Amino acid sequence: MRYLLRRLGFFVLTLWAAMTLNFFIPRMMPGSPLQSLRDRTHNKLSPAALTQLLQQFGFDPHQGIVVQYFQYLKDMVTGHWGYSIGGSLGEPVTQIIREALPWTLGLVGIATVLAFALGTIIGIVAGWRRGGAIDAVLPPVFVVTSALPYFWVALLLIMYLSLQTGGLLPNDFNYDQGLVPTFSVAFIRNVLWHAILPGTTILITSIGGWILTMRNNMITTLAEDYVRMGRAKGLSNRKIMYGYAARNAFLPNLSGFAMSLGFVIAGTILVEYVFNYPGLGYRFYEATVSADYPLLQALFLLVTLAVLVAVLLCDFATFWLDPRARAKG
Amino acid sequence: MRRMKGAAAIAAVGVLVAACGGGSGSKATPATSGAPTSAAAATSAGAAATSAGTGGASSPAAATSAATASGSTASGGTATAIGGNFKPGGTVVISNEQGQTWPCQFNPFNPAVNSEADGFVYEPLVYVNALKNGAETPMLASSYTWSADQKSIVFTIRDGVKWNDGQAFSAADVAYTFNLMKKNTALDLYALWTGAGLNSVVAAANKVTLTFNQPAKPYFYNFADQVGIVPEHIFSTGDAAAHPDTWADKAPVGTGPFMVNPCTPNNITYTANPHYWMPNEPHIQKVQYPAYLDNGPANLDLATGKAQWGSQYIPNIESFYLKKSKDNHYWFPPTQNVYLFPNNDKSHPATANLAVRQAIAYALDRSTIAKIGESGYWPAANQTGIVLPTFQNYFDASALSTAGYDKPNIAKAASLLTGAGYSKSKPLNLTVITITGYTDWDASLAVIKQELAPLGINLTIQDLEQQTYDSKFYDGNYDLAYGGEASAGPSPYYELRQVLYSKNSAAIGKQANGNYERYLNPAVDTLFDQYATADATTQVSLIKQISSYMIKDVPVIPTTGSGDWFQYNTSDIQGWPTQADPYAQPAAYIVPDTGQVLLHLYSKAAQ
Amino acid sequence: MTALLVSAPTTEPARTSRRRGGGLWSAIRHNRKAMVGLVLFLLFCVVAAFPGLFTTVRHPNDIAYQPLLHPSGANWLGTTGLGQDVYAQVIYGTRQSLVIALVAGAGATILSVLFGVSAAYLGGWADDLLSLFTDVFLVLPTFPLIIVLATYAGKGSIAVVIIVLIITGWSFGARQLRAQALSLRNREFLESARVRGERSSYIIIFEVLPTMTSLILANFLGAALYSVLTAAGLQFLGLGDPSSISWGTMLYWAQNQQALISGYPAWALVPGLCVALLGVSFALLNYAFDEISNPALRPIRRARGKRAS
Repeated sequence: MRYLLRRLGFFVLTLWAAMTLNFFIPRMMPGSPLQSLRDRTHNKLSPAALTQLLQQFGFDPHQGIVVQYFQYLKDMVTGHWGYSIGGSLGEPVTQIIREALPWTLGLVGIATVLAFALGTIIGIVAGWRRGGAIDAVLPPVFVVTSALPYFWVALLLIMYLSLQTGGLLPNDFNYDQGLVPTFSVAFIRNVLWHAILPGTTILITSIGGWILTMRNNMITTLAEDYVRMGRAKGLSNRKIMYGYAARNAFLPNLSGFAMSLGFVIAGTILVEYVFNYPGLGYRFYEATVSADYPLLQALFLLVTLAVLVAVLLCDFATFWLDPRARAKG
Repeated sequence: MRRMKGAAAIAAVGVLVAACGGGSGSKATPATSGAPTSAAAATSAGAAATSAGTGGASSPAAATSAATASGSTASGGTATAIGGNFKPGGTVVISNEQGQTWPCQFNPFNPAVNSEADGFVYEPLVYVNALKNGAETPMLASSYTWSADQKSIVFTIRDGVKWNDGQAFSAADVAYTFNLMKKNTALDLYALWTGAGLNSVVAAANKVTLTFNQPAKPYFYNFADQVGIVPEHIFSTGDAAAHPDTWADKAPVGTGPFMVNPCTPNNITYTANPHYWMPNEPHIQKVQYPAYLDNGPANLDLATGKAQWGSQYIPNIESFYLKKSKDNHYWFPPTQNVYLFPNNDKSHPATANLAVRQAIAYALDRSTIAKIGESGYWPAANQTGIVLPTFQNYFDASALSTAGYDKPNIAKAASLLTGAGYSKSKPLNLTVITITGYTDWDASLAVIKQELAPLGINLTIQDLEQQTYDSKFYDGNYDLAYGGEASAGPSPYYELRQVLYSKNSAAIGKQANGNYERYLNPAVDTLFDQYATADATTQVSLIKQISSYMIKDVPVIPTTGSGDWFQYNTSDIQGWPTQADPYAQPAAYIVPDTGQVLLHLYSKAAQ
Repeated sequence: MTALLVSAPTTEPARTSRRRGGGLWSAIRHNRKAMVGLVLFLLFCVVAAFPGLFTTVRHPNDIAYQPLLHPSGANWLGTTGLGQDVYAQVIYGTRQSLVIALVAGAGATILSVLFGVSAAYLGGWADDLLSLFTDVFLVLPTFPLIIVLATYAGKGSIAVVIIVLIITGWSFGARQLRAQALSLRNREFLESARVRGERSSYIIIFEVLPTMTSLILANFLGAALYSVLTAAGLQFLGLGDPSSISWGTMLYWAQNQQALISGYPAWALVPGLCVALLGVSFALLNYAFDEISNPALRPIRRARGKRAS
């Protein structure tokens, strides 16, 4: 119990730290919402009108920084995330996120989970059949793929699977322009079709890591005394492989997965940028270059929250699966 | 690359930047930002005066009507199809990269989204063509009359016009639009009430009278062409009435040739407005406007003919676009200059030194900058500041060659620089600021850097975020700045006045409003002042005199042209604006010109 | 880039023999992956140090040729949209990527060691505090943070990029090192040092760290790999200095001029290939170090292999 409380405490503290950073970073940077808005409105509005607009968008320039900070914390927690002052001037941030989130979850989420699951399975097999055909070929190959830059893989795929095939596979967007989103077979097929290249990019660049980690964990675990013990007792290979080795090798991999979600977001930005995929990553990039603070803040919060929740879930899972962790608590 | 076009787009949107006229905004910016925006507020008092001048005189065409004294009328009171009589049909796909998905907002008072609303859905009173000496086409006003003192103007509002929801349009809607801008300063994008001295707007029967505190002809372009008229029955109720500036306006009701039907984040579909007032218009029945996040796919669609109307940078256009089809064409009409701004203020002694500025102006090979930096898409600029070929008749070629600025003169540049105390062994180190993502400018600066290096000028190129760049540029905290923020207009007067008029300047640390180089010359100011009331011939000679100061004082150094990006495909769609028939600015981001282009287009297949 | 960062903490803290430099070298020499990685890495080092040996062009950013030439005898990889030699830019671009990798990698590793080892050695509330700090940095979305910082804090300056990479790149290593240091805490040789009355700092530097050489090296390689890829990504997005000579900047320009679509694949792909190869060299070395530091992972001799399967 103490362990769980500690993790919850960690959760709250980290969230608070991230939100605080989030508040101060944009404010330490050159530029201000006023300037941003001035650029966005093509320098057409008077300062008075700009201030008036800003107030409508939820900024009160005359408030002190401390008041703003607490107001900000309150707004973030209560979901009052304000309005975009960037490319989608005046659009509620929640609305923008609501539009972008499903695409990112759908594309990046599925591709990442797939990479993790496939990687883990291949890793188990490779580790188990140490020195076998799979183990001889795959790890070195995936050492290489895991060191490739996301965007470069994306460019290669675009070059050879889209351009050179005469646009067989779409190289941009989440669905054909001109289609209206509906829950029809044609539309869903179109969406999947558009997801192939970006999804493949994520898969190629991230699967290697999981394979390698899992394989190494597997091998290390197989050398443990309790596995030898299991063998000595004459347990079936299958039982040892999944019941003993894989299960224990998997646990640290799981928390590694949660921790690495932050890095996944990094890849998302580049992949979505190259493939013009209108998800959160693209919005993040756009919000940054157009100094769209409200959107930037909300996205930061969201990403941190996602990673934290994943970490927390993994902690609980580990706690539940692993007797040793419970004992420690 | 996504902002390759940005330079042109931003500059072109507000043809007269008359902002900064708001009086009371003297509070400093949020304590949260360390940025010196307080300058913006501080200039406001002066800027009001400034912006009154920024408008300056009207176009030559309007000037002509001034010459015929009080009661002039715009031509053509009858409604005819301006694009000719063609059968309806056809779809136009626009490829104009936005770098974002569509917010699906069409509020014409929101400058971030109004280029998808004006022209398509909302219409002005009179269309003024900046490419054709300010030629006018009556739109919602069938005619107008100025008072003798030019302090009031009476528009006769067109009969028989309907909003696209079927309700009747009337003079009351026009008056409502202008009075709404008075009530909400944020809607007054051209500072008509605060800067231009608009005093009252009254509707009576089919007439609307605008009364000003001062002669207001310079602002005709703003209030007649740039303001889209909105329906009172929509804007006076609900959320629109509560927050007209931030209201989303998802299903815009306008008088224009098209209506939004439907809009998704990926694509806006416009369909022909069945209630449109011009008979037999529009010919085109559907317009698709996909949201391209990036140039790449947008250009691919143009090359393959999937999109017919392009408005962005295409690298390598000959092989990438033209060679793909005989029906692919492009036309990039220049409307303004890109400059190297030297800081003329004494606090920057190197660039305040005339000899240094002259040396740079002599040393630059502008045709190379245009050829490599701008891929030859824009012509080289010249030291007179006259954009060619658009404003050919204002250009004084002999003045340019007499001064030796017609071609690069390295020897002269070197001797000037030596005279100023600099040489290869004692180099002059200068930093030039530019905007991140404007890669054509980066490329141009790479050329400029290379051209200046042999003289002993070491140029450091500093790429800044737009906001950072703006505050340095506006406040005068730079040695050299690469920029092209000046506004285009129907004559060179608009751009030159913005850049050179001393009231558009400000002390270092305060926000200037066009004269960012801080060039102060009363003689030049006088020339600008005279222009407002001069006749057409005198105006040309005044511009030539102003050009002579550009040559003599080198306040700024024009490098290349800039303006509308425009590619078009003629396999089915015909009627595009061309160099031979520049009936409107052709880029899809210039409003309300988009409306004019759409009215001229027709489908060959449908005939 | 996920992968290699994740790998180590899960491996059982090594059964470390107190191996010093010599042992490490012989381990590398007998590991094929390590040798390939090392050769690649050294090759890049030579190119970075003496670019003049590989091209006759001395100022790769000079506009010296016709723009957009296809690869030829004179311009092996063609020219850029401005008329610069692509091959020369690739050669001269090596230096920046390598410097970023090494400096940022080293910086991040130093921070990792500082936080990780101190936390483990000091224990108690100091450990709690340092671990919390590490965890906070671990869950912050780093790449977006980097983008924000790199965009606003002195755009394009390598120093800023390196500092940002260090700040965002140390936390993972710190966790790993803490885990391993924890396992060492109660070993006899440390106990004896404590009994001798050595100061904590002495024990950490002279007793604990040497035993962790291979993990620290692996960490450094991971951080260097992360730095190479992230820096290239940043520059590719246009958040670097567009007039600098680096692979990422080349990719930015190539993408900008749509080199791929316009039919100039050499310009668009070769700089990326170099980023990838440098990354691969780090990854191979890193992978090899994993094997070296964890005996269980070492390539197996036949007899043992049979038993395992």
